[in-house]
Amino acid sequence: MAKKTFVVGAFSDEAVLFPAVKKVRTAGYKIHDVYTPFPVHGLDHALGMRETSLHTAGFIYGITGTTTALSCISWIFTKDWPLNIGGKPHFALPAWVPITFELTVLFAAVGMVLTFCYLCQLAPFVKKHTFHIRATDDLFIMAIECTDKTNTDELQAFLSSTGATEVNLQHAEAGWWYGRYDQEQQLITEPKATVA
Amino acid sequence: MHLKYESQLREPLVTGNKDYHQVTEDICRPIEAKPTKLWYVGFFIAVTLLMFGVYSVYREVTYGIGQWNLNKTIGWGWDITNFVWWVGIGHAGTLISAILLLFRQGWRTGVNRAAEAMTIFAVMCAGQFPIFHMGRVWMAFFVLPYPNTRGPLWTNFNSPLLWDVFAISTYFTVSLLFWYSGLIPDFATVRDRAKTKLRKLLYGVASFGWTGSTKHWQRHESLSLVLAGLSTPLVLSVHTIVSFDFATSVIPGWHTTIFPPYFVAGAVFSGFAMVQTLMLMLRKIFVLEDYITLGHIEAMNKVIVLTGSIVGCAYLTELFMGWYSQNKYEGYTFWYSRANLFSPYGWSYWGMMACNVISPQLFWSRKLRRNLFVTFFMSIIVNIGMWFERFVIIVTSLYRDYLPSSWSPYYSPSIWEMGFYAGTFGLFFTCFFLFAKYFPVIAIAEIKYVLKVSGDNYKAGVEKEEKMPVEEFVHEYAH
Amino acid sequence: MASIRAQFEIPGKMKTWSIALIAIGILAFIIGLVTKATHGEHGKVEFIGTLMYNSIFFTLVCNASMFFICATTLAMGGWQIAFRRVPEAISTVVPWFGGITWLILFYVVVIDHNHHIYHWLDEKAVDGDNILRGKKGFLNPTFYLVWTTLAIGLWILLGRRMRKLSSQADEKAMDAEEGQRYIWKNTVSAALFIVWFALTVGSTIPWLWQMSIDAHWYSTMYSWYTFASSFVSGMSLVALFVIYLKNKGYLEFTTQEHLHDIGKFMFAFSIFWTYLWFSQYMLIWYANIPEETVYFQHRVLGPYKGIFFLNLIINFVCPILILMKRGAKRNYTLITFMAVLIIFGHWVDFYQMVMGSLSKEHVTLGWLDFGIAAFFVGMIIMIVGKSLASKPLVAKYHPYLKESIIHHT
Repeated sequence: MAKKTFVVGAFSDEAVLFPAVKKVRTAGYKIHDVYTPFPVHGLDHALGMRETSLHTAGFIYGITGTTTALSCISWIFTKDWPLNIGGKPHFALPAWVPITFELTVLFAAVGMVLTFCYLCQLAPFVKKHTFHIRATDDLFIMAIECTDKTNTDELQAFLSSTGATEVNLQHAEAGWWYGRYDQEQQLITEPKATVA
Repeated sequence: MHLKYESQLREPLVTGNKDYHQVTEDICRPIEAKPTKLWYVGFFIAVTLLMFGVYSVYREVTYGIGQWNLNKTIGWGWDITNFVWWVGIGHAGTLISAILLLFRQGWRTGVNRAAEAMTIFAVMCAGQFPIFHMGRVWMAFFVLPYPNTRGPLWTNFNSPLLWDVFAISTYFTVSLLFWYSGLIPDFATVRDRAKTKLRKLLYGVASFGWTGSTKHWQRHESLSLVLAGLSTPLVLSVHTIVSFDFATSVIPGWHTTIFPPYFVAGAVFSGFAMVQTLMLMLRKIFVLEDYITLGHIEAMNKVIVLTGSIVGCAYLTELFMGWYSQNKYEGYTFWYSRANLFSPYGWSYWGMMACNVISPQLFWSRKLRRNLFVTFFMSIIVNIGMWFERFVIIVTSLYRDYLPSSWSPYYSPSIWEMGFYAGTFGLFFTCFFLFAKYFPVIAIAEIKYVLKVSGDNYKAGVEKEEKMPVEEFVHEYAH
Repeated sequence: MASIRAQFEIPGKMKTWSIALIAIGILAFIIGLVTKATHGEHGKVEFIGTLMYNSIFFTLVCNASMFFICATTLAMGGWQIAFRRVPEAISTVVPWFGGITWLILFYVVVIDHNHHIYHWLDEKAVDGDNILRGKKGFLNPTFYLVWTTLAIGLWILLGRRMRKLSSQADEKAMDAEEGQRYIWKNTVSAALFIVWFALTVGSTIPWLWQMSIDAHWYSTMYSWYTFASSFVSGMSLVALFVIYLKNKGYLEFTTQEHLHDIGKFMFAFSIFWTYLWFSQYMLIWYANIPEETVYFQHRVLGPYKGIFFLNLIINFVCPILILMKRGAKRNYTLITFMAVLIIFGHWVDFYQMVMGSLSKEHVTLGWLDFGIAAFFVGMIIMIVGKSLASKPLVAKYHPYLKESIIHHT
């Protein structure tokens, strides 16, 4: 991961955010990300993100659970150690349905949550750059990635013209690192300019 | 972006003119403030109860099951009654967070976090009973299927008791994951507001480094939806499997095919009662009346009258079949041991009927549904009734065996049996008090999500859409 | 501003089809009457049994529409308003099918006194049988008839009440207060219907109509199982008519989003049905008490084996595999296919519930069953078509209509 330069704009209303996203994208800038305090419906599409296929992964984990349960139990009860239980056949399928079901759900749920954490780089002691401290409170924060060619002043002016209430320039780590939130962020330089 | 509109006839879910920031403030306030005196008192009582429970369990573990008053035929008494009772209570949390999410009932947002916490603590309490009922609790790992030196003698996969092991542990795990994945963004909110170093550290760790990135939210929503979809059949399966513990047997009063859905309905019923009890306290103590409104209370009371009536329908079905089957053992259990008020445990059956079927019918009245006092009182009554239900099922079916020579003397619990039960209350409330103090008790992000649709101040903003003729409305907004 | 295309006109094709199906049904009835009903007791039982399970099945399926309306009303649902007139129209079939069912049952119990169908009608046998004698308080012609009449009668009356209320939303715009009152009136009527529904479909009616065919056998789950079966078929029927109207260019407010939710109902209740099926089957299999296993003996191991597993494949495996994906629930063709399959599957389920008890030695499924079913399907098409045409397709002034228009999943 590397440090990059971002122009960051804060929006206080999602109704302003949507047209702004559209304008910024049409102007050809690359939006690094938009940080919101809650899931804003349709924002992922506005940003041109593809649908997540997390649920497909869940389905595969689930099937794995089903297979694990059925194959283990049937091997144990028909091959490894057949027992006569209440006169039932060794291959007592109806009695195995509950455990099979539980393992299906368990595998799917655990697998999905782990995949989710992996994809989003979520774990204890993982730290990421905070573009705006109120992104988890009441502001919608748009971070635009700058290249060497970007005229940052122009971009800042443009961003505030789209309705951002607060605009600044940040030079920050784009990825994640191990760190603690009680220690100061070393990876950010002070914002250079602020346009009201 | 879609139009944010909801009919004005619907009660607002968030009152008091909130904006996003105010929501954060209101919900984080209890976490950031010093605990109140009331909190300390409650916490102290809970810990005391817990200690008593620990001692009761200590007696049972050291001296054996003989410390309890179980006897020859009543091998399951208070312990399994309490187990089923606690598991049942857990169900409402999952129902609120999962099934109501699928049904898109917006009011769940106000109560889901606390209800899910309740689920987890209730399942923790429930788990104690079968484990300590084993007697030699240090052998508890025998329930796990692993290659061993005892044969290899595997666990009995055909036994409902083993199904329980899988069901309860899966249920606990999945509920925990569901709950925690919802908590991550809210922990991030608390983290970003933290003033002290310790708080920054702890909430920073707990928040897993959440930023609120759009892609993460998209995945988060997908995850919640699938977890909800998984939890829905899961929650049904758990009480279903608990009911199988009874229904797969050939004991009169236990072996009946309606048990699975009827247990599930009963579980939801008792769970909602417990949610009511907790919510009424929470909203009062933490001043959350704007988020847990009368509308929320009323909605939950509707669920209570619905599930209470379903349970009632099942009770009557069973009672009817006890007669209709013309099976004399079934008939004896239902019509002598249960429905007859003057049989030894007849009081418990009628207690159950009064608490679970008759009294919830009060909630057909809108006025009573919205009365806090009645609601609180009823929530306690229902929980007592549902405890009776499990007691009735277990004890009245067991106390008279087929042979009169093996009928057992009247069963009443010993002090250590009761102490164990009291101890789980201690555990439950200790956990709940800690949760209420250190966790966001309302899902902050989810409240913000519904705020612009259901907040009272925003609802007035759609006056124009409300007045619009439908043709024009379609022209403007239909997809 | 385009006006709403709210007036359904019955296309000629719909008329032709319904009349053709009804004609096939009547033909099958007549041929059945001549070749089966008059040829010995076996043929007669088969003939009457076929009429019985068909009429019961289709009555309950159409009645499930009214249950859907009432349940969503009580849950304060808004999304279904855009197509609510469809289940309403389907529920207008209940008086017809209820009447037909009543006639058939009246014939069996009173006129024919057919103890080959209901063993408990044979007074001599009952007197010599301790168990049946004990059940006399419930299994007797008088109670049977009174309760059947009450059940069907009140379904019709309470259903009509709901439909009448619905028409009020065609008249004029409501302000907040009127809207509130309107919703309240709906809620009360819906609650009445639901309570009666629980007392009949949710408990007593399936015991009387179907379970008492095996006069000794009992299962507490039976009624809820029957309900699940008829409800999931009911939702499928709603889906079929919604798609039909969409294809004809009506119901412009109903979108894929609504269809998606109907699809979810079909999916979820297929699983719910399976859950009840499994609970009933597994508990009886596990406990292995002869009085109970007698019901499944010939169904699982005997001649009904094929139908038994077919039932599970159509009603469980297919819905869970096909309807799981989001895309499938939003695909008109796939939902149409699945709806037909589910209705067929549960029709087969009713077949094995009734005929599996009446004709234990051999499976009778054949031309007569399909012929009689054709009659009921034709009737549904005709009556629903007429009802749809008799009212606007959208309750224009319903307070929740706008919510339904912008509904998205």
